[in-house]
Amino acid sequence: MQNHFYVITWPDVLVSLVFIAVTFGVMRYWKIGLEKTLLIGTARTFIQLTLMGFILSFIFKQEHWYFMVGLLVLMILIASYEGYHRQKLPIPYYYLILTGSLGVTVVIVLGTILKFIMDVQPWFYPFAMIPIAGMIIGNGLNSMTLTANRFIAEMKHRENEIETLLSLGAPVRIAVHNCLVEAIRAALIPNINGLMTVGLVQLPGMMTGQILAGIDPLIAVRYQIMIMYMWITTATLANVISLAFIYRQFFTPASQLRLKLLRQAE
Amino acid sequence: MTKTPIFELDHTTRIENDREILKNVSLVFHPGEFVALLGPSGAGKTTILRLFNGLDSPSAGEIRYRGENILELPITELRRSVGMVFQTPAILAGTVRENLFIFQKWRKDFNATDEELVEHLLRVGLSADDLNREAKSLSGGEKQRLALARTLMNNPNVLLLDEPTSNLDPQLAQRILRRIKKVQEELGLTVIMVSHDHQLAAKFAQRFIILIDGEVVEDGDISVIENPQQPVVRSFLNGAED
Ligand SMILES: Nc1ncnc2c1ncn2[C@@H]1O[C@H](COP(=O)(O)OP(=O)(O)OP(=O)(O)O)[C@@H](O)[C@H]1O
Ligand SMILES: [Mg+2]
Repeated sequence: MQNHFYVITWPDVLVSLVFIAVTFGVMRYWKIGLEKTLLIGTARTFIQLTLMGFILSFIFKQEHWYFMVGLLVLMILIASYEGYHRQKLPIPYYYLILTGSLGVTVVIVLGTILKFIMDVQPWFYPFAMIPIAGMIIGNGLNSMTLTANRFIAEMKHRENEIETLLSLGAPVRIAVHNCLVEAIRAALIPNINGLMTVGLVQLPGMMTGQILAGIDPLIAVRYQIMIMYMWITTATLANVISLAFIYRQFFTPASQLRLKLLRQAE
Repeated sequence: MTKTPIFELDHTTRIENDREILKNVSLVFHPGEFVALLGPSGAGKTTILRLFNGLDSPSAGEIRYRGENILELPITELRRSVGMVFQTPAILAGTVRENLFIFQKWRKDFNATDEELVEHLLRVGLSADDLNREAKSLSGGEKQRLALARTLMNNPNVLLLDEPTSNLDPQLAQRILRRIKKVQEELGLTVIMVSHDHQLAAKFAQRFIILIDGEVVEDGDISVIENPQQPVVRSFLNGAED
């Protein structure tokens, strides 16, 4: 069969509202009480994605590298801000740590992909750079906030172990080693499970999108393989970098556990 | 005594949440002493041990170890030299042997033969058979003794003991303290022991410090507890007997 790609028109989008109508009907009938939220969500999806479409088509028309770099920085700053406020963690310099770790991770991972894997010309070609950067930023940030949370929970759980090791003369890095290991393991296990099960049950969203857009599945698969490997590296780098800064915040220069700070975490 | 004191608290205050949990305390400890630190719950006994081990710093005043301000000493050296056994010590995952070998993780030169390990275990009343046991499966009292053995692996000059016998029956408590006393005399250790059991402490310590509400109210020989002068001390000691 010939590759072909079908364009959905705005009237077609309106037809897809039948899905919402069905859900709405069920909610009414069973008095589930979420009708209002559903309608707000429906409207927001429409508005946010339409806006995003306009923004993206504007971005993709730009031709200067500094525009793209500026955009990347903005994306990192906004995403970090969002992650910072999602979980109120009592970590000094938390926002700075998130942005810094994310920035370094993006430079390394995105740089490798654009230069050595895709060999994009010019390197800031937005159709490649922006979607991939978005995936790196979103995943890296998600992983970092989960890991930071887990790390603090581990430290609270192992408070006595940490202080016992310190009291024996252990350096801080050794005293928190178990907490770091647990936190990083917890962050990487979902990624590794993803590597195990991808393609067995459902097709990843990006691949589905590419196939719908008429791209040869064998090409889409190669993209997806790269993305899978990219995710695990992103998670590893972002977590290792951020934890290296986070754990230090919980100790004084005299290698004392800052119990009060730790206990501020709920 | 003319020797340099091993520890000095010089007008030391520790503030926690705007509350003075140690109030302008001045004390001098001499090398080789066996001191019992007594006082009601919340008096600040653990606080003093934590300051000596460098787990906390004073809010005001100074602490000197062998004449030097402890803030100026390399912290890991201080902690190695000033061993502490916690009220509820953390036993690490793995075997008893792995607990005793934990120092390998940060001291590349650390090593011990099986004979030395067994010697350490025997010293605290554990047996050679315990070496390969899963440490978390030890009883409360055995864990306390393992923690003591682990601290002694550092060959400290000072031993800070926070209720070292709270999980032991009276016979065992006496046996362990006799052993600690023996080690202390052999190695010339300074021992500062927090205890709720002043009868037991009386058998081993030479000096008794009574701390109430962050302040030293008594400091002296056995007469401090045998013949208390102050009403607060009397009522604390009587209360502790019930
Ligand atoms: N990290 C802390 N934060 C707040 N208060 C603390 C902290 N550590 C100790 N305190 C308070 O300081 C006081 C002295 O505590 P400390 O642990 O030294 O008492 P203690 O004499 O060892 O008592 P116990 O015999 O019950 O172990 C207590 O009132 C305690 O609640
Ligand atoms: Mg205590």
